[in-house]
Amino acid sequence: METKKSSVLAKQHRAGWYFLTPATALIVIMAFWPILNAFIMSFKTGSSASMKWASPFIYNYQRMFQDKLFIRSVGNTFFYLIIQVPIMLVLAMVLAQLLNNKDLKFKGVFRTCIFLPCATALVSYSLIFKSMFATQGLVNAALLKAGLISENINFIGTTSTARLVIILALIWRWTGYNMVFYLAGLQNIEYSVYEAAKIDGANAWQTFWMITVPLLRPTIIMTVIMSINGTLQLFDESVNLTSGGPANSTITMSHYIYNNSFGKGVANFGYSTALSFIVFIMVAILALINLKVGDQRD
Amino acid sequence: MKKKLVSVLLVASMTATLLAGCGSSDNGGSASTDSSATTDTAADTSSDDSAAADTSSDDSSSSDAAATGENKLTLNAWDASFNIPAMQAAADDYKKNVDDTFELEIIEISQSSDIEDAITLAGSSGDYSNLPDITLFQDHWIQKYVADYPDAFQDIDDADINWDDFSQEKLSYSTIGGKHYGVPVDNGTAIFAYRTDILEECGYTIDDMTGITWDKFIEIGEEVYKKTGKYLLSMDGDGNDLIYMMLQAEGASQFKDGKPYITENEKLVKVCEKIVEMAQKNVCYLANDWSDYTDQTIQGDMVAGVMNGNWIIPTIEKLDANSGKWEITTLPTLEGGEGYASNGGSSLYVTSNCKNPELAKKFLAYTFGGSTETYDAALKNGGVITCCLSAGKSDVYNEGVEYFNGQPIYAKVVEMGGHVPTVEQNDFHYTCRQYMAAAIINARDGADLMTELQAAEDNLKFAMEQ
Repeated sequence: METKKSSVLAKQHRAGWYFLTPATALIVIMAFWPILNAFIMSFKTGSSASMKWASPFIYNYQRMFQDKLFIRSVGNTFFYLIIQVPIMLVLAMVLAQLLNNKDLKFKGVFRTCIFLPCATALVSYSLIFKSMFATQGLVNAALLKAGLISENINFIGTTSTARLVIILALIWRWTGYNMVFYLAGLQNIEYSVYEAAKIDGANAWQTFWMITVPLLRPTIIMTVIMSINGTLQLFDESVNLTSGGPANSTITMSHYIYNNSFGKGVANFGYSTALSFIVFIMVAILALINLKVGDQRD
Repeated sequence: MKKKLVSVLLVASMTATLLAGCGSSDNGGSASTDSSATTDTAADTSSDDSAAADTSSDDSSSSDAAATGENKLTLNAWDASFNIPAMQAAADDYKKNVDDTFELEIIEISQSSDIEDAITLAGSSGDYSNLPDITLFQDHWIQKYVADYPDAFQDIDDADINWDDFSQEKLSYSTIGGKHYGVPVDNGTAIFAYRTDILEECGYTIDDMTGITWDKFIEIGEEVYKKTGKYLLSMDGDGNDLIYMMLQAEGASQFKDGKPYITENEKLVKVCEKIVEMAQKNVCYLANDWSDYTDQTIQGDMVAGVMNGNWIIPTIEKLDANSGKWEITTLPTLEGGEGYASNGGSSLYVTSNCKNPELAKKFLAYTFGGSTETYDAALKNGGVITCCLSAGKSDVYNEGVEYFNGQPIYAKVVEMGGHVPTVEQNDFHYTCRQYMAAAIINARDGADLMTELQAAEDNLKFAMEQ
């Protein structure tokens, strides 16, 4: 009797593995195998037709620390990260708070409006921003008519304004996306908790910091990790909005990696895979710090 | 019940797409069974079924790869309003005058970088079977691609072509290791087109602009900007072609013995100084990118002068209102005297996938090797200007062009092409251009030019030692 029972259990276990097999096989073939191959490739140099082992073995990894353009692209990416992510998340939180108001009318309409930018394709919104901020574009015309500027500004062609435009574009595109997560999180908080706080005499500010933020912590951590991850992999905006210019002052890491593998006929795949792994490590470290800081269970 | 049905349908459709997806990348083999289900409607026995599938998969692979027919060639080209009519002209010419069974399948690709990516892909995978027999390829790229993927192209050194009849500067791109790899199609000779009406307003003629120094040019440019508000020159600041062209007109290169030659290159430093000066004095407008350059500055009527490879002519001609007001001449130089340069352009190359190289060589030699019929039709239908010296003397070439005030610009371009000095080329031409453009932009915005050039040289050296 005993033996038969365990064999049924074993059968069930086996069935579970059978069900897992197709998905596992696919992810191994489609994701893990290429990752492994890319890792091997990151130790090679030469054209992709005849790649040789680099000498010294870690040549590609050494090389990037002398690569001024790569260092510049890292600097640019972190610039976006430090400026844009806090602004975006605070804005998303404010909007979520506003839209979570029980007495607000047309909530659905507002939510849709704010979320709508996320439904636009990355390339098309980049191109629209580009034409809006062109030297003869809409923004310049509006500012000129309003008397705020005396002559057209070359937004995309000047380093500071080009970065500003990218940050504006990113905020426009991603704030609604994060807001939706906050809204979902806020709706999971029992209204009775707020009522209790009210009875205890807490004001709105205290309620926010003592109740909303702690209870939203998992959502906040998730959005921060996702935003960091997304910003470090920033590509479309850099390519389509400014093409990395002027003079490479807005190029991002992913754009630089792309340029090294597919752009400008370089096809330096060994080096670009090595760069990709460095970006991967950066994302992993930042996410880890984030988790450690956010985790207050002990 | 409804839910179940929907989920069954979903699973079925997903499985079908999954199988179809795998099937198309597979050559026959395991995929043959499900491809036969879609291609073969007749109720065959199972053995017939698989045979039908085999032939059908063979057909599909031969249509997107090189042609297997005896008198058929496939060819890649990318511009329906420029070089594709030229290819069609060559095919018609060969068909009419040599072999009426000949067939040329022109495959249109959307941009020149597509064929570059295709070579990279084929070279990386070691499978060249999807390349066409012949492909158009950008001149500045070809040396790097032949160096990186030596198995992708075959040389055509023994083709029956009178190589002396071409602009030698143009041939210097497609000659690799002393062997000819390509047959020139278009002509990259740089022109300087001016708006004669605007020049007149300021008291100058086109002859006053011919053979002048850049200093004099800047002087006139300042005057033009003050009087008419138009820039005398514009360029894409992101991929600045001015440096290369101005330097070539001096007979110098950004490379020396395969190494970057920038900060110690007096002529180059001077050229860069002039460009920065022009940008700061509103003589030259540096646009943000290529479309800004063509759409905003040239077609937006911001400029009174355009200097670039002659393929820029169709862009100039798009503004109907200015017909008859343009004329072309040579480039200014640092010390004065007429400057000749070249920028861009492409040639036809035979890939290693070509199963019938003899036919390909015969076709190329007869048509683009010097047939006036091909070149005349190419010019008429696509605006492609030859760099074949004898073909450029035909009647069609000597006709005046209305847009350019009746000037026979095509014959002039071909004639100018013969004077372009050959300068040292390098695989890193575009990489160099990119760094130099960045240096110019930074210097325009106030940075020290020599520091910027040093940075460009360092970056370029770094990029070259992979």
